[in-house]
Amino acid sequence: MKLPAAAWLVFEKDLRIELRSGEILITTGFFALLITILTSLSFYLDDVIARRIAPGVLWISIAFSGVLAMGRSFQRERDNDAMRGLLLSPLPRPAIYLGKALGIFAFLALVELLLLPLLAVLYRLPFDGALGSVALITLLGTLGYASAGALFAAMGVRVRTKELVLSVVLFPLVSPALLAGVVATREVLGGATLNEVFDWLRVLLAFDLLFLVGGALLFGPLTSE
Amino acid sequence: MAALADGLTAHARFGRVIDFADVSAQGLVKMFGPTRALSGVDAHFEAGHVTVIEGPNGAGKSTLLDLLSLLSRPTRGSLRFGKLDAWRDREQLRGSLGVLAHAAMLYPDLSGRENLVLFARMYGVPGNRLGKHVDELGERFEATGFWQRPTRTYSRGQLQRIALARAILHAPRLLLLDEPSTGLDVRATERLVETVQSERQRGAIVVMVTHDNLLTEKLADRRLRLNRGRPEQA
Repeated sequence: MKLPAAAWLVFEKDLRIELRSGEILITTGFFALLITILTSLSFYLDDVIARRIAPGVLWISIAFSGVLAMGRSFQRERDNDAMRGLLLSPLPRPAIYLGKALGIFAFLALVELLLLPLLAVLYRLPFDGALGSVALITLLGTLGYASAGALFAAMGVRVRTKELVLSVVLFPLVSPALLAGVVATREVLGGATLNEVFDWLRVLLAFDLLFLVGGALLFGPLTSE
Repeated sequence: MAALADGLTAHARFGRVIDFADVSAQGLVKMFGPTRALSGVDAHFEAGHVTVIEGPNGAGKSTLLDLLSLLSRPTRGSLRFGKLDAWRDREQLRGSLGVLAHAAMLYPDLSGRENLVLFARMYGVPGNRLGKHVDELGERFEATGFWQRPTRTYSRGQLQRIALARAILHAPRLLLLDEPSTGLDVRATERLVETVQSERQRGAIVVMVTHDNLLTEKLADRRLRLNRGRPEQA
């Protein structure tokens, strides 16, 4: 089986399970919405301050709910030792990684689809091109975050301290993507165009590429003994 | 040997399965940090034979199965599947292995049939034969009465039936069984014995770890006894 077809098979499996249980979307969705609503109640003073706070709230929601999604996605592989079944199969190791990363990315993107309009309402962001630009920045940042997270969550399948691996190792590692995402979002909401934040977008793109390629190459060695 | 080859050709085979007539280990050593789990194991497993690996807890039985299942790399020694080096050629060889382990390795939220379809696709069962092939397996393992339910609702015996069906669905050359009779009732154990006999007849290389003396008596063509990571005379 070719790598794209094999990755799609792994993704399709995760999608089927998620459509049946709704577990990742419901838990991460509620968590992200809760953070957004609570922070809006706490920090909203006026429209100007709200716009300054919104980027931080958005990326904190994504960061924390992302960890939940990653943990849950790989917990499914721990149940019944299903990950071993995947690793025993003839699927190329990079395909297993890419399929899992794609699943996490898709679930987080769906959550963000709900999160962005809510953020716009609660923080009085304009429903114009800026929100579209924020959506693009968010998707780019999420792709890198999901790629890095899939790699570290996969490592966590074989160790007992999986939450520790995710929170202690993952956050410092993905901080360039999170920082670039926050800054680019702040600038765009402050009136900058996508062209003006292109350097930050390049950082996000480079991070995406680095973790997608690096993750695909490292997944095999990291899951072997 | 010719009869064996005919048997192999006659049986349903799928694209990913590579033929090899034997598996041989020489001086196999596996270390976990300072702990020596296997200390120079020599073994030879042949097509059409069932080899039972015996020994007390901590003897290295599961470690040997891990090496044979290509999940773990030997620290030293040689492991060959026919003419192929097990670790170097592991990507090619994985499709030729069938494994039944302690855990069922099935997705709890998918039904038994969905799990089998998923793994059949992974192992390259062609799309036009997939449904029929899986349905035949379901009937063979008497699973069609329950296999539409999610596997998290199954009893141990039902799980083991689907797991065994998953292990052999691609007609593997090497079938590895780790304590396959654990938790099975008399009927399910009989079905397990029939399946292993059928795999042996087909010409598969079967390696089984078990403490079940009855199963050993019924199935073992050869025995390999391990103690503290070394082979003993059985």
